[in-house]
Amino acid sequence: MHPILKFFSSLRLTVVLLSLSLVLIFFGTLDQVEFGIWETQKRYFESFLVVWSYPLSAPAGDALQWIKLPMPGGYLIGGMLLINLLAAHATRFKLTWKKSGLFCIHIGLILLLISELLTDIVSVESQMSVDEGSKSNYSETILDNEFVLIDRSNPQLDRVHAIPSSLLKKGKRIKIPDTELSLKTLDYFPNASLNRAPQDAPDTSPKKPQIANKGLVERIDLQVTPLAPQYAEDAINTATAYIQIIDKNEKALGTWLVSNVIDERFPPQILAAGNKSYEIALRFKRYYHPFQIELIDFKHDKYPGTEIPFNFSSEVYIKDPKGAVKQKALIYMNHPLRYGGLTFYQASFANNDQTSIFQVVKNPGWLLPYISVLLMGLGMCFQFGMHFIKFLQKSRTR
Amino acid sequence: MKIIFYIAIALLTLSTITRQIQSERTDSAFDIQKFSELPVQVGGRIKPLDSVARNTLMILSGRQYTITPEGTKISSIQWFIDLCMQPELADTYRIFKIEFPDELGLEGLEAKSKRYYSYNDLQPYFEEIQTLYQNLEPEAKKRNAYERQIAEIHNGLLLYNASLQSLHPTGNAERLNRLIDEYQSYESIINQGLDAIKKQQNGEAFDKTLLDRFIAYGDNYLNLSKTARLRIIPPETADQTADQDAALNDLSDWKNVGLELLDVMKGERLSPVLKHYAQLTMAYRSDNAEAFNQGVDAIHKSFKKDFPKAESRVQFERWFNGFKPFALSIQLYVFAFFLLAISWLKWGITLNRTAFWLLTLAFLIHTFGLIARMYIQGRPPVTNLYSSAVFVGWGAVFLGLFIEKIYKNGIGGAMASLIGFATLIIAHHLAMTGDTLEMMRAVLDSNFWLATHVIIITFGYSAMFLAGALAIAFILMALLSKKFDKDKARSLSNMVYGITCFAALFSLVGTILGGIWADQSWGRFWGWDPKENGALMIVIMGAIVLHARWGGICQERGIMLLAILGNIVTAWSWFGTNLLGVGLHSYGFTDSGFFWMLLFALGQLFVIVLGLLPWRYWASPFALSKTEKIKRSEHPKEH
Repeated sequence: MHPILKFFSSLRLTVVLLSLSLVLIFFGTLDQVEFGIWETQKRYFESFLVVWSYPLSAPAGDALQWIKLPMPGGYLIGGMLLINLLAAHATRFKLTWKKSGLFCIHIGLILLLISELLTDIVSVESQMSVDEGSKSNYSETILDNEFVLIDRSNPQLDRVHAIPSSLLKKGKRIKIPDTELSLKTLDYFPNASLNRAPQDAPDTSPKKPQIANKGLVERIDLQVTPLAPQYAEDAINTATAYIQIIDKNEKALGTWLVSNVIDERFPPQILAAGNKSYEIALRFKRYYHPFQIELIDFKHDKYPGTEIPFNFSSEVYIKDPKGAVKQKALIYMNHPLRYGGLTFYQASFANNDQTSIFQVVKNPGWLLPYISVLLMGLGMCFQFGMHFIKFLQKSRTR
Repeated sequence: MKIIFYIAIALLTLSTITRQIQSERTDSAFDIQKFSELPVQVGGRIKPLDSVARNTLMILSGRQYTITPEGTKISSIQWFIDLCMQPELADTYRIFKIEFPDELGLEGLEAKSKRYYSYNDLQPYFEEIQTLYQNLEPEAKKRNAYERQIAEIHNGLLLYNASLQSLHPTGNAERLNRLIDEYQSYESIINQGLDAIKKQQNGEAFDKTLLDRFIAYGDNYLNLSKTARLRIIPPETADQTADQDAALNDLSDWKNVGLELLDVMKGERLSPVLKHYAQLTMAYRSDNAEAFNQGVDAIHKSFKKDFPKAESRVQFERWFNGFKPFALSIQLYVFAFFLLAISWLKWGITLNRTAFWLLTLAFLIHTFGLIARMYIQGRPPVTNLYSSAVFVGWGAVFLGLFIEKIYKNGIGGAMASLIGFATLIIAHHLAMTGDTLEMMRAVLDSNFWLATHVIIITFGYSAMFLAGALAIAFILMALLSKKFDKDKARSLSNMVYGITCFAALFSLVGTILGGIWADQSWGRFWGWDPKENGALMIVIMGAIVLHARWGGICQERGIMLLAILGNIVTAWSWFGTNLLGVGLHSYGFTDSGFFWMLLFALGQLFVIVLGLLPWRYWASPFALSKTEKIKRSEHPKEH
């Protein structure tokens, strides 16, 4: 056998890769204390290489923070395992009755690795919050932001032009699709704090010049202090930007300060361009759905005399955009609603039990893990069952 | 000779069991046992006063009995009776456990007593404790040992105070001796009192002394309704024929003393149960056993009528508390382990057989304890960290017994009894935080998944630990024993291999089921949550062991060392991930867990290092064969 093929199909490589994955998972669990689940997942499991460093917050963090440990990331290990498995099956394995269990396990594993990759790439998670008695046709994610121009001239329907925040790079100019306008990002902060500029500022702290000249800053003099992005589980980053809008004649229409904290609580920031006017905002990324969810009733029951909940449930109508009821459903713990390629889970609640919050997941590959684990489970039961029976026979004859 | 030996062992076992059961008999004329079976609703569950008393004392003192200043040892229920009915006495009992009194900065406290302090001991420091507590780090998880101790004392005092007022309003001797009068006088002035309030609001003439008295009652009972900890008054059924739908069940709201008294103002009848409790206290204080027992019976009767099912369950729970099957199992596991250890030196077969049956008995009692908890809680056996410890031990003993049945060499049995013992000790320490039969949070409230995913995963832990323990036995025997030859090594390594197969199977299936549950409830098949990662690490560890063996990459010794490493991985998955305090699974946080976790890991590493010693330091014939092999390969020409 060719030595390269031999290397890639060897059991030794399997054991090494499995050991590396053990190390990766261990550190990928530890670092969740520092960076939260989302960020750690990206760094460790959706990457090719990752460097762990001794956390500052751990005992003796000051003295030991020079300790760094590079290791292969999830994509690298997973990919190598996949190659290893395929190579092994191509060279060493022969499909025999005795080994059919192993085959099942390995095919299941291949499917699982692929489905995990697929989930990373195509699945979308967001949250929808609905008040009792009202409805919603969108969900949003606090992990991502978008810059929007909203055209409210049609009373039936708003027209939203959205630009993902990943395209807002300092100094870059982008054309806003379906309009004659373009925008230039003067500055962008993934996280920041917004404060009213001190009124009678003493000269000791030099006042930063106000870059924006339109919108909210015309009434309140807001100052932006950039902050490091936060990764804790429920941390919300205040994405903030200075956006200049330029019309088709290359004329600057003004610069706006937009931020996801400048939300519905404030009057909308208006952009007037020729005979059209838009609302502009930087907000959490929204996903619009071709149907509405109306919350009829949210229930939150606790065990008597305790704060321990035993039930959260939301009774909802699903309505088409015209308001006709398509379906009625009860969403509760361990019982999600699957509709229109999306799955709605009871995730949280707010506003004194008046508001229900759903986790909305779009994962076209959701069935794959089920198939793969079925294969693996069956294979394992078969393989070890055979071992076990043989073992029992042997010990009986002894 | 053999028969005498068997009889001796049987007698010893029997005496252990009887001592266990009889340990809490009292010969007082007061029917304490019946009293301890009285039902209350606390923590969302109907349970006997006995459980409340035990758990409360456990939280305060870390044990289920206390010692009076006169030096008599009294049971937790007796303490609870004194607390509610003779607080002047209970205040002198030293029940607050303070591990490091000198570190608190409370001057003179250390001189008063050692480790245990009474309410009266602490009284002079209340203000200081309050101030210290208010300046603590607000987030409980971030507190250091000193701060935790302050918080513990502060919360202990609150708990003491709340428990004290459970059965009726409290106060000086005069008030406690005349509780019935108090209730009567309160009931009799309610109408006039309400009337007086109306008159006062309308500016009409009213009886001022009566109104003041009425308001004093109201204030007092309002406070009581906020502090009284136990809900002792069941909802009434008798006259509610109109509302058939709202049939009484275990989740109907019970009331505490204060609320019941306040609700009389709304025109409700004062519950006879409340009056019975007052009667109990008065009877107890005047040493009238007959009246006391009558009161207890009356409460029982009304409870039995309205909650027939709960009544028998509550009685059973009281009995279960006293029986303490797990404590009994612990003793028998130790016993079995010693018999097996001796059997390797002398009287091999006889002792081995005896130990096997003893282990089986301990296992059956352990099983009974598990089933009893399932009956009381109405849930599958594993619902929190405590019950997982009980179950891990159970599973390991189950597998160990199975191995012992086949191999009959005492090793499987010895390791099983060791794990059974260790996990029950862990469980015992986890029980310090209070009720181990707590209610399940909504997301976990699914008997189907609890019965499948959780059980299978936990059984996977059992198998991993058993494989690891057998591997430790392998290394130690191969290092030290002159009797450990090639055959023994092979059979032991086969055991480890078989158990590891089991562990890998169960961990994989359990993890998969967990993924499906997660997909059903959170929309994520896999979320890289610490507990999920921990389970995956066990699966991978199992896979490493199996692949290393199949590929011939590791010999017996290597496989054993990997299996011992598996112990660390399993402990990490089981406890370590909970210590991180992140993720959706982190429901059971433990404080001193980190220290023990580290100690355990270091212990395992130590054995691994021992196992890595060069063959020439090993004493067993098995190791000798290895060194010979090496020699042969080094000097092939000599042969």
